[in-house]
Amino acid sequence: MQTKILLYEEQIPKKWYNVQADLKSPLDPPLHPKTQKPIGPEDLSAIFPMELIRQEVTTDRHIAIPEEVQEVMRLWRPSPLYRAHRLEKFLKTPAKIYYKWEGVSPAGSHKTNTSIPQAYYNMKAGIERIATETGAGQWGSAMAFATMLYDLECTIYMVRSSYTQKPYRKSMMHVWGAECLPSPSTKTNAGRAMLEKDPDTPGSLGMAISEAVEDAASHSNTNYALGSVLNHVCLHQTVIGLECREQLAMVDDYPDVVIGCVGGGSNFAGISFPFAGDKLTGKHKEVDIIGAEPASCPTLTKGLFTYDLADEAGYTPLLKMFTLGHDFVPPSMHAGGLRYHGDSPIVSRLVNDGIMRAVAYHQSEVFDAAQTFARTEGIIVAPETSHAVKSAIDEALKCKKTGEDKTILFNCSGHGNFDMSAYDAYYEGKLVDYEYPDELIKESLARIPKIS
Amino acid sequence: MKRIGLLINPVAGMGGAVGLKGTDGNVEEARRLGASPLAKNRARNTLALLSHDKNLDFVTCSGAMGEDAIREAGIQKYQVLYHFTGESSALDTRQAAQTFIKDGVDLILFCGGDGTARDIFDAVGRNLPILGIPAGVKMFSAVFAIDPVTAAEIVAGYRKESLRDSEVMDVDEEAYRAGELKTRLHGIARTPALEGKVQLPKQIFEESDEERAKGEIARFFHEIMIPDVLYIIGAGTTTEAIARELGVNKTLLGVDAVKNGKTIALDIDEKTLWTLLEQGQEAKILISPIGAQGFILGRGNQQISARIVRRVGIGNIIVVATPHKLRETPVLYVDTGDPGLDAEFGNTVLVVSGYRMAQRKRIYHAERG
Repeated sequence: MQTKILLYEEQIPKKWYNVQADLKSPLDPPLHPKTQKPIGPEDLSAIFPMELIRQEVTTDRHIAIPEEVQEVMRLWRPSPLYRAHRLEKFLKTPAKIYYKWEGVSPAGSHKTNTSIPQAYYNMKAGIERIATETGAGQWGSAMAFATMLYDLECTIYMVRSSYTQKPYRKSMMHVWGAECLPSPSTKTNAGRAMLEKDPDTPGSLGMAISEAVEDAASHSNTNYALGSVLNHVCLHQTVIGLECREQLAMVDDYPDVVIGCVGGGSNFAGISFPFAGDKLTGKHKEVDIIGAEPASCPTLTKGLFTYDLADEAGYTPLLKMFTLGHDFVPPSMHAGGLRYHGDSPIVSRLVNDGIMRAVAYHQSEVFDAAQTFARTEGIIVAPETSHAVKSAIDEALKCKKTGEDKTILFNCSGHGNFDMSAYDAYYEGKLVDYEYPDELIKESLARIPKIS
Repeated sequence: MKRIGLLINPVAGMGGAVGLKGTDGNVEEARRLGASPLAKNRARNTLALLSHDKNLDFVTCSGAMGEDAIREAGIQKYQVLYHFTGESSALDTRQAAQTFIKDGVDLILFCGGDGTARDIFDAVGRNLPILGIPAGVKMFSAVFAIDPVTAAEIVAGYRKESLRDSEVMDVDEEAYRAGELKTRLHGIARTPALEGKVQLPKQIFEESDEERAKGEIARFFHEIMIPDVLYIIGAGTTTEAIARELGVNKTLLGVDAVKNGKTIALDIDEKTLWTLLEQGQEAKILISPIGAQGFILGRGNQQISARIVRRVGIGNIIVVATPHKLRETPVLYVDTGDPGLDAEFGNTVLVVSGYRMAQRKRIYHAERG
């Protein structure tokens, strides 16, 4: 009984897969926040290197991964694909459950798949410093690691609630030589304005993005980097799904169900886009692709598909995406990485088109699933990842009812080794099941006269 | 250093064991039936846990109203500020509380039941925090710690700036003895509370000021109000904050009605409510649970009767509460006096706890658990 399905280092993907090539019609373009006209490359060049801007808009199906980037990725790629025999046995399901384990990267999650190429392209463009934000700290630590490799300075605006209460992520960033500030900070106009408005704010990803963008735009040697949402970020993550497809082929399998957790959408994009491409091109029309999100920040299940800002202060372009509103500050739950009001425009489009679907879960039920996973497969997953685990278990239990032997694949995006206080809270019965009161909101919206 | 004023109602709880459902005005009867004082022992349990705490400074009343328990708990350093003679009375309780205020205590720690809570609240209002060691027959008020040990933990661990609103309930003892529970919200006291013992990650929001949370709830509610709908607004400081945000008048302890941004009626009784709902008036009920106890209906808001709830519809009840209150209120209860209606409330209810934010909370049903 094979448990780990492994690729050789030579089998690390040489190209990223761009699902934009297989969309039936182009994505709606990002709009300038002031003019509301489509933005051009020059609008982005103040904060992004040209190669990443090109990757953001290109419809080329494949984009070559630079040799130097592949070289670094050898530190943890190819990542193992596991067959979850013990979980299957525990659930008594006829389904086959596979999980892709991205927690093997130095920073402990999938985030390094894009932090490395982003730092690389910035270094190539002569940039000396990166400003970025982080919610729970996964992205910040991944970017600290990447900028260290290419000798770039790095300033990370970390959402204040995580900064004070998740100290070890901050420590990791320091080990890799980055500067980490609590957001809102007094270093930027956006931060100062927010603090003036509300000195006790716990911060949000949207606020931290505003600070990092302002920092980058106001320093000529500095660029901005985003850990999720944008097309080029999703593109870089496709190495996950591309490897999975190879690994499953080695055991003559192909997934019936593909699952990832969704905050900004990048790890979900990473595992699912190659399979979404197979669905769009008719190679595998039946594959069921599921994004699992928190009930407290249910962007895909309860949000509106419309143009909205990606940040709080309004520095970023307007993106066509599922959104709960850029002024929405999600509650302080444990899956901090999923606290984002919007979603990747490509993921949003694919959900809107019915190529993918989404489910939402409460905190306590995803921790139940995470505990089951830890007690069967051994891995203690991040609270974010536990949403994907929960969805995979639900699908496997459905198979138990119907007797179907489906193949379920999910992205096990990161470990929870710095989240043990969240598990403590779970065992102490202190988890709060936050929920977005969408009925109340919708009912009132429906009756408010439209004023244009 | 915290200065604690300790006050014991020596006869609290005596009526309970002998089936009197309350001791007010019944001490002799309780004694005749063989009841023995128990408040002192309950208080002693709490005090023994605090006897070595060098940060505490105790002042109290003579004999059974405090000193006896303090001495037995092994506390050496204390001052007796209030002396009583004969049988202690409600007047003694109020006067002792006033003496404590003059002395400048930080907290009144009392041992008793709802009656004692009421007497102390009448003396101190919201000027001084109070905390109850539960010893009464009825404890519907939210000012009580769940047991004497927890009371000790709170006294030792609370920060002076970390106070919560807690309902003081008034129970009609005559009706209660006749098997009917008539409660009224008597007032809203300030009580100390422990913040999360372990600093949980990403929970600064919840640790932040409760007033801020009330403001967020109010802002959200303002946003979702619908024209021409009658809003029946229950008692409490959270609903009061909403009224403030809407710019309408509201009684702190009564049930009020608001429509199209205007107050229609204040402190309304059940009959008037029923009249307001005639002619197919569309309505919503906005209520907040009693802290710690968790009742959303049936305690302190009995004006919102079963027929009113049926008329408005369960789906049109909006429950609001701050995250602080919800953390101390693990389960919610409904007691409309109509078991069939209570059963129609599902196993969970959504409680609005912030701006565009809610928590899914369990409703306890006796038959379902």
